[in-house]
Amino acid sequence: MSATKAARVGEDVWKTRIDKVNAELVTLTYGSIVAQLCRDFEGDYLEVNKQLEKMGYNIGLRLIEDFLAKTNMGKCANFRETAETIAKVGFKVFLNITPTVANWTTDNKQFSLIFEENPLADFVELPDDGRAQNELWYSNMLCGVLRGTLEMVQMQVDAHFASDILRGNEVTEMRVTLVRIIDDELPPGED
Amino acid sequence: MTIYSFYIFDRHCECIYVKQWHQRDRTFRPTSSSASTVDSPVALASDRHSSTSSKLQNEVHPSSRGGRLSVQDDAKLVFGVVFSLRNMVRKLSGPDDSFISYRTGSYKLHYYETATNLKFVLLTDVKMNNLKVVLHQIYVNLYVEFGEFFSIEHPGGEGVAVELFEMGLDSFIRTIQD
Repeated sequence: MSATKAARVGEDVWKTRIDKVNAELVTLTYGSIVAQLCRDFEGDYLEVNKQLEKMGYNIGLRLIEDFLAKTNMGKCANFRETAETIAKVGFKVFLNITPTVANWTTDNKQFSLIFEENPLADFVELPDDGRAQNELWYSNMLCGVLRGTLEMVQMQVDAHFASDILRGNEVTEMRVTLVRIIDDELPPGED
Repeated sequence: MTIYSFYIFDRHCECIYVKQWHQRDRTFRPTSSSASTVDSPVALASDRHSSTSSKLQNEVHPSSRGGRLSVQDDAKLVFGVVFSLRNMVRKLSGPDDSFISYRTGSYKLHYYETATNLKFVLLTDVKMNNLKVVLHQIYVNLYVEFGEFFSIEHPGGEGVAVELFEMGLDSFIRTIQD
């Protein structure tokens, strides 16, 4: 599926088949989750990153079925197509944003998603304690969501943020790497 | 038009949902002709697909001699058949192809698989039209709406047996049968 077709599908599904909620509600809810985690782990931001990723992962495991049901999409032919689908259909349908796919490696196993806008991070300022700016990946739940959804369609990936506007970087960039294609599980007694 | 049974298998090859209609007494040999259509064709099919594990067949044959198979044995055989067929089809005509249904003299098996390796199977009489669309609708309107969000790993295979799902499935199946 070409990038333009992916964009069209994303737009179409978002317009016709998606129940919408107020964006600020999402922003505030997500913000309170992160703030609560920061309190729970007493400012251990590395642990907060880990927990956000895990929460996202569990969301992703479920979200993929919703995604497939709503978009009626089949398997992607290759990882490039997967990337376009994530950016132009997945993010469009669930968050109404379309990050840019960029910075492919030559083996087609690694790309970046550049977020020009990020509804999770609206109105957000990181704590001014000298550490959050260097340690907290505020939107890390998104990495987990990608890992969870892709695992359910037989792709093990590593996803992490490489930069974030909240930290003072120029862009918000997530790096996604295909680790391996997961084989079908065999029924017991056949392996 | 008659629908005999419905199965969902998850990506761990577990049967996470079974529903059988037109239940007959499971402890005695079937006497009516329609009774034999549910399980015996499945047993036959598994004989032909000898690639399904011998262990599975060993488990099954003693009980099939005694008459009816248990619901679990039925499910295992159905899984064995669709799993082997699906893999064979992929080997023959490429990874994007999948089989849609097959029929024998006495029943028809309809198959739909999602990109997440969920397998939906419906056994009906031979006159039934293609039900791939119906299985897709069950996935979209029932499984995703009611079943999926209750439990992701379906411990013990009970995960999606949720009341709303049951009710929805029952009324949905009734509309096809009419």
